[in-house]
Amino acid sequence: MSTITKDLIVCGVKAENAEDAIKTIGAYLINGGYVKDTYLPAVLERETEYPTGLQLKTIGVAMPHTAGIHVNIPAVCVAKLSDPVEFRHMGDPDTKVQAQLIFMMAIKDPDAQLDTHQKVMRVFTNEEAVEELSAASDKDKLYEAAMKYMG
Amino acid sequence: MKNVKILCVCGSGTVSSAMVANKLKEKLAKHGYAVTPVEASPNSVESALAAGGFSLIACVSPVYKDYGIPKVNAVGLLTGLAEQQVIDDCLKILNAK
Repeated sequence: MSTITKDLIVCGVKAENAEDAIKTIGAYLINGGYVKDTYLPAVLERETEYPTGLQLKTIGVAMPHTAGIHVNIPAVCVAKLSDPVEFRHMGDPDTKVQAQLIFMMAIKDPDAQLDTHQKVMRVFTNEEAVEELSAASDKDKLYEAAMKYMG
Repeated sequence: MKNVKILCVCGSGTVSSAMVANKLKEKLAKHGYAVTPVEASPNSVESALAAGGFSLIACVSPVYKDYGIPKVNAVGLLTGLAEQQVIDDCLKILNAK
């Protein structure tokens, strides 16, 4: 099964801050039935305690997620914000990251979904992939790039 | 191959620590180490370590307490920016054993 589905590709999300971004992007996962109503508050709480921002070479990204009990169907929502918002850096909450690409993960069983993690991770460490994803100007281009590198 | 146990710590003890665990397994194998990774959240570090035999703790979430086992900041494995640095830090600890 592909990691990427087109209804979970979102381009040009307008968000005031990280919380706003998580809520807006999370709505796609909720509306698609991928996650339970408890998912959003759980992700927000987790992000406060264990932030998920990562500063890559050219841009900042974030991968908000939470425990599997809040998930119905495993999925990854790939979203590009129209303007970056401030996330805190993983492993070092005092460092801020201006994140523009958000990989919101609905992980049900981490061991069974290792493949998904690896695909997301491979994107982070692949400059070409990051460049194509961040250069995507509309949903179709973002979908194309996501399929190419994560599909 | 030398067997080593590494505790991988992230916020939920699942997603990022699984990424770190895989990366460490793959990279350290090239240096002659067969890594047995154990994943934990910051809240379960103590109980995970109770099993014993850990050579180091690789963290992507801050672990503030000192457990008497060397810690390595492994965030570089997720971004790829300082991957070699993380591996070098691990090797320094493992090779000193």
